[in-house]
Amino acid sequence: MADRMVLKGELRDKVGSRHAARLRKGGKLPAIIYGHGKDPAAVSFDLHDFTEGLHHGHRLFDADIDKNKETLLIKDLQYDHLGKGIIHVDMVRVDLAEIVTVRVPLELKGTSEGSHEGGIIDEHLDHLEVECKVSEIPEVIVVSIKEVGVGDAIHAGDVELPGGMKLATAADALVLTCHLVAAAKSTEEMEEEMPTAPEVITEKAPEEGTEGQSE
Amino acid sequence: MALMPKRVKYRKQQRGKMKGNASRTNFVAFGEYGLQTLETHWITGRQIEAGRIAATHYLHREGKVYIRIFPHHSYTAKPLETRMGKGKAEIAGWVARVKPGTVLYEIGGVPEDVAKIALLRVAHKMPVKCRFVTRRHSIA
Repeated sequence: MADRMVLKGELRDKVGSRHAARLRKGGKLPAIIYGHGKDPAAVSFDLHDFTEGLHHGHRLFDADIDKNKETLLIKDLQYDHLGKGIIHVDMVRVDLAEIVTVRVPLELKGTSEGSHEGGIIDEHLDHLEVECKVSEIPEVIVVSIKEVGVGDAIHAGDVELPGGMKLATAADALVLTCHLVAAAKSTEEMEEEMPTAPEVITEKAPEEGTEGQSE
Repeated sequence: MALMPKRVKYRKQQRGKMKGNASRTNFVAFGEYGLQTLETHWITGRQIEAGRIAATHYLHREGKVYIRIFPHHSYTAKPLETRMGKGKAEIAGWVARVKPGTVLYEIGGVPEDVAKIALLRVAHKMPVKCRFVTRRHSIA
């Protein structure tokens, strides 16, 4: 992981969605800080600085909030409806020697054997939860897929973790599989499967003999 | 015959309103790349099927296409030159109601440039403005 980034923040005295929206308009990012038995604090950071840090792989920040220095780890990020911009961040107070459970993204390396035989890699899990020291959180965990053939699978327990790290995800959780692609259905096949009209659950079946009575 | 549900509780529905943005189905969850709508609209079963065909034809049995929307909502239309009244008309089709942010299609198992072209072809079949999105690897 890259070195810790220094982030300047300010305490927020006014909370709520309207005030948060005003902050965002001014280029600030609303955040909440909690942990270590202290009271949670509503703060704001500079959105540009925070996004830059995040894009450079920082997850651990040295925050300077009203001359109060704290080491913070990103706990949760909230994005807008398009998934483009960050609208809120949860940060947790940590010590560098503390052991934490964090999500680390997986990076697939190489071309699988299966892909030469017409198979595709289906990624079921794009991250692993690991327990490690705060100062040793990796940016990514690299998974080599060179030897994955058609019909093979990699489980969470099979992934090699860097030293001093413990897997928190269930070891039998499926990470990826390699399988042949089923032939895409033609429009005719789809039409055969599709009903001509849906079955209506609440519709009453016509009673027998009603036609005869009306006549 | 276009996409439609197999079983419904009631055949005809009111049209409803579509306010706000998508709060679910708004991130790439299955494939690596996706097509996200930037507008609110009804997308018919036929349009969804046209998009699927456009993507699968381009991919030539490579990769996997995921359709993230389904036409659950029926709409009715009166025939031409019909007087008003006489009750609600017959069902004219089934639509998926999408809001800005909804991911319509996803593609996995192909390189980014291939997925981009395939989804651009799909976008041409859609009645909405769309954008290409990639999977966001969550770090928190």
